[in-house]
Amino acid sequence: MAANVGDQRSTDWSSQYSMVAGAGRENGMETPMHENPEWEKARQALASISKAGAAGSSAKASSNGPVASAQYVSQAEASALQQQQYYQWYQQYNYAYPYSYYYPVSVYQSYGSPSQYSMASSYGSAAPQHQGPLSQPPVPGMDEGMPYQAPPQQLPAAQPPQPANPPHGAHPLSSGPQPGTAPATQHSQAGPASGQAYAQHTYSEPAKPKKGQQLWNRMKPAPGTGGLKFNIQKRPFPVTNQNFSSTTEGQHSSFGPQPNPEKAQNHRGNLSGKPDDWPQDMKEYVERCFTACESEEDKDRTEKLLKEVLQARLQDGSAYTIDWSREPLPGLTREPVAESPKKKRWEAPSTLHPPRGAASATRGGGAQSQRGTPGAGGAGRARGSSFAKFGNRNVFMKDHSSSSSTDSRSRSSSRSPTRHFRRSDSHSDSESSCSGNECHPVGRRNPPPKGRGGRGAHMDQGRGRAQRGKRHDLAPTKRSRKKLAALECEEPERELKKQKRAARFQHGHSRRLRLEPLVLQVGSLEGGTADPDWQELQIVGTCLDVTKHYLRLTCAPDPSTVRPVPVLKKSLCMVKSHWKEKQDYAFACEQMKSIRQDLTVQGVRTEFTVEVYETHARIALEKGDHEEFNQCQTQLKSLYAENLPGNVGEFTAYRILYYIFTKNSGDITTELAYLTRELKADPCVAHALALRAAWALGNYHRFFRLYAHAPCMSGYLVDKFADRERKAALKAMIKTYVKLRSAPALRPSAPASGPAQAAATMSPPPPVRSALVWTRPLCTAVPCPPASLCSRQPAPPASTPCPGPLPPRPPTSPALMRLSAPVGQPSEPSLPSAPVASGTGPRALVRAQMSVGTSVTGKRGLTAPKEGALCPG
Amino acid sequence: VSPAEDCSDGVDVAPLRTLEELECHCQPDYVQCFSGTATHSSIQAWRSPWGCRDSLPVLLVSWVSWIRAQRARLAVCVLPASSQGTLKLRADQQLVKKGKSKVGDMLEKAAELLMGCFRVCASDTRAGIEDSKKWGMLFLVNQLFKIYFKINKLHLCKPLIRAIDSSNLKDDYSTAQRVTYRYYVGRKAMFDSDFKQAEEYLSFAFEHCHRSSQKNKRMVLIYLLPVKMLLGHMPTVELLRKYHLMQFAEVTRAVSEGNLLLLNEALAAHETFFIRCGIFLILEKLKIITYRNLFKKVNSLSSASSRYLLLKTHQLSLDAFLVALKFMQVEDVDIAEVQCILANLIYMGHIKGYISHQHQKLVVSKQNPFPPLSTVC
Repeated sequence: MAANVGDQRSTDWSSQYSMVAGAGRENGMETPMHENPEWEKARQALASISKAGAAGSSAKASSNGPVASAQYVSQAEASALQQQQYYQWYQQYNYAYPYSYYYPVSVYQSYGSPSQYSMASSYGSAAPQHQGPLSQPPVPGMDEGMPYQAPPQQLPAAQPPQPANPPHGAHPLSSGPQPGTAPATQHSQAGPASGQAYAQHTYSEPAKPKKGQQLWNRMKPAPGTGGLKFNIQKRPFPVTNQNFSSTTEGQHSSFGPQPNPEKAQNHRGNLSGKPDDWPQDMKEYVERCFTACESEEDKDRTEKLLKEVLQARLQDGSAYTIDWSREPLPGLTREPVAESPKKKRWEAPSTLHPPRGAASATRGGGAQSQRGTPGAGGAGRARGSSFAKFGNRNVFMKDHSSSSSTDSRSRSSSRSPTRHFRRSDSHSDSESSCSGNECHPVGRRNPPPKGRGGRGAHMDQGRGRAQRGKRHDLAPTKRSRKKLAALECEEPERELKKQKRAARFQHGHSRRLRLEPLVLQVGSLEGGTADPDWQELQIVGTCLDVTKHYLRLTCAPDPSTVRPVPVLKKSLCMVKSHWKEKQDYAFACEQMKSIRQDLTVQGVRTEFTVEVYETHARIALEKGDHEEFNQCQTQLKSLYAENLPGNVGEFTAYRILYYIFTKNSGDITTELAYLTRELKADPCVAHALALRAAWALGNYHRFFRLYAHAPCMSGYLVDKFADRERKAALKAMIKTYVKLRSAPALRPSAPASGPAQAAATMSPPPPVRSALVWTRPLCTAVPCPPASLCSRQPAPPASTPCPGPLPPRPPTSPALMRLSAPVGQPSEPSLPSAPVASGTGPRALVRAQMSVGTSVTGKRGLTAPKEGALCPG
Repeated sequence: VSPAEDCSDGVDVAPLRTLEELECHCQPDYVQCFSGTATHSSIQAWRSPWGCRDSLPVLLVSWVSWIRAQRARLAVCVLPASSQGTLKLRADQQLVKKGKSKVGDMLEKAAELLMGCFRVCASDTRAGIEDSKKWGMLFLVNQLFKIYFKINKLHLCKPLIRAIDSSNLKDDYSTAQRVTYRYYVGRKAMFDSDFKQAEEYLSFAFEHCHRSSQKNKRMVLIYLLPVKMLLGHMPTVELLRKYHLMQFAEVTRAVSEGNLLLLNEALAAHETFFIRCGIFLILEKLKIITYRNLFKKVNSLSSASSRYLLLKTHQLSLDAFLVALKFMQVEDVDIAEVQCILANLIYMGHIKGYISHQHQKLVVSKQNPFPPLSTVC
């Protein structure tokens, strides 16, 4: 069924388009195309063609006559006529006209409606569509076109694409709450609609080739630059003309690949919008572009590029939001656009893919042949390429795998499905009823600009349809399902939650911005890529789940899976309580991450955001997950920088401590530089600073004392490096307290101050123990004082067997010397003298300690107690 | 056309003066100077389409690609321009700071681009040594250092240092470049606590810096002074005065006197300055030297008195140190902390001796218990 519907639609579209084309012609005739000197060259180049075209245009009526004339004369009749015409054409070309049965008469009737022309205007008035989708069974595109059809009506068209949104709201799916989705859908919608239209055109194509050509020719004079000119010219008519012309061109191009290159139905559904509507900035931009051109080639190129860019911009609405004055001139982009595919990542769908260009070239060639003028051919090519590209896109969107024209589609195709789905969704909901007419995607928005897609469709007629059908079947795929699900969720609750939703959408303006952005068109230049305006890409979620699995986003977020703030608040509470109860870090972390993600996606940066990050940071800290902790810290830093309230002191302290952990003195310095006086007074920060000072000086006593009294969760951070510092402290202590025994450093000459006995009498050095007071807070087992320290315990008498081998030592051994030193004054505790030699001192001691099993003996040592130092005991 | 003849221009300014100026054009805002080697008029071939105001990164990108495309021995000529670009980038960054984006963004971009230049230069193995692009390496490295120091990513300097160290042109670059290079490497060594090396490099920079570049010499001094002090060389007041570094005067005095209290006050008084220069943490380490000097005083006093009393002079009561510290108004000090400080001093070699915990005494070597600082670090 879906397929059928699609076909039907397509037919409708085709008729519409033909109409449009006719209109375009007429308009073109009427409007003096070129006022700008810039155009002159182009004009001249195309002059011959233009003349022919003009003649052709009039003539074309005759040639195409049936179609165009019929259209113009009476739309209603036209539809019928068109059908016939198409049919005939098909026959002529030996085309199978498989879908003929699809054509519903009603469709044609729809043509009668003034809206036919409207197709061209993508942005057209979306509102009309929504308002009366049913009332106007006709294709959505037609609805859109409405404004364009009648010159007077064009004014409405002038409305920026944004206005289209309201219709969305009307639509159940597109309802305000889902602004986020809207943006994504825009493309898709527009694309598909147009695409369908074009696809249907294809039928008519065979017959229309001439007409198309003629139109095309005419258009050229107008400046293939059509878009540009139109921009300059503010008349509504010219605009439409241009659009049409462009459409026609596009058709041509599309046809090129096909067996019948000539049949160009020039109805381009997707006129990118009327110049009138265009923002002043944009017009100026266009003017600039052309002024920059030096040669015909340049102009052609510029024209082509501009068309693409502008169309894309207009379609997705960014034209109204971006700063044209800053937009790089196409000349700069030229090569990149044509040659570097990578830039296209975020490009608006409209951006051209090289492959398309090729396809276009072929088409252009076809056009040329018809025209007969080489110069025109060049221009035609350029246009054709751009159109072709568009067409491709649309095709993809529709899912037509138009093999014929372009290879490049693969890319676009990847994107398109989602869009398509969305459309289909909308359709299914509201418009399934409209059988013959293109109820189609219109649902949400104006399918407007997607005329391009139509062109693309053209190329692939047969295939496209088939695929289209598939699509429809598939249509209710992920997104649609999601949406549906979301809708379902919402609907039951709707009344209950109206308030909530209202609150959610209070930021109307922001919503608008969001709608357009989904396109992700960085489009034109490096400059653009450099700073995509992410602000505009934000969406508002519609998901109501309290819990949600975290999945790293790899594409534009889908509002139906994004939770709005109120839900997130609940979520946070839930996670907190869950954490308190169950301490399930895996769960908590995932939930926190998904909350964070939702916040990020929606661009929410408020107190709540701070709270979320703080909470996650604390949880991560508690579990020692410093990756997450760091992420949170980074975010918190910037959040605090925005003057959002939070526990600035606490987390600044954590940051300092973390820098201590990483020993990043540079960062510490930077951090210190930014500390305000108030911040320094914060207990946490003060503590961290004191700890840092202690750490810097190796004052382990103070360090561990501070550690023991760490405020907040500082202790968790200090945990990370406490061991490290403890080791360092022990090292120092070992070196310092060890002296007693085996200082080999003692030179013979150095009189040992203390007799061995004295040494022996030295109380076992609790020094280490006592020193390790500082380690208490750790509760970790205090590492046993180094053997050397233990060794200070009174050595057992010499008689005590020593486990280690006791190599006899020469009396000169330092230890011996020490031992042999004259007994000091008994009254005063004699301590072994410190090593004299600067170099040998402490290290030697350490070394001595390391050498296990050496014992110190001396001449007198026999009587002297053996230095316990070396005894394992 | 080796730039080696360049006179030493000081740290921050390193235009290749001896090179012929080919082009001084382009957006005055962005790049004032575009000089190149005499033989390469090809430079002129490169006129950027700067009619419109591209952002600097874009400019630099085009620079890099242009260099690459030229394949000629151009390295040197583009350098001044890119340096200008870097400077401007910094200015841009100031703007960015006011705005929304992160501070280091622009600089990082610039660094990337410069890095691209650097690779081109470093990989130029075909050209003869006279006009090899390698002559441009050091300049680029210096520019990169500048950025890395700004954005606090010193770890990125390491490969650059290695590249220069292994370069056979190392000693043939212009003095100006070498001075700049040593200045940064010295700073890096200082932050890595490799004070010996830091002293060496910074001393070189200071001594070879052109005498007219007082500002640069001052910059070098800012880092050289703390290092020297840590190594036991105290600057004279005249020196400090000459270079307007009187912020160090108090510090110097405090350290040499072992006046901990004064040191704390001095540090606090000029904290902003020191932090801005990034040397606060280094100066803080002077506390250790100050402890050492203070304890040395305690030692001499107590030894004098003990000599008077015919007591052993190499045993010092820990209480004496405690009193000294309290005299210096160190907050809640106890005997354990005294031991801790002493232990650190002994550990670092500032004091020869050991602590007898049992007797609560510090036993110092009878010979040279406080070895000269210069022999310790």
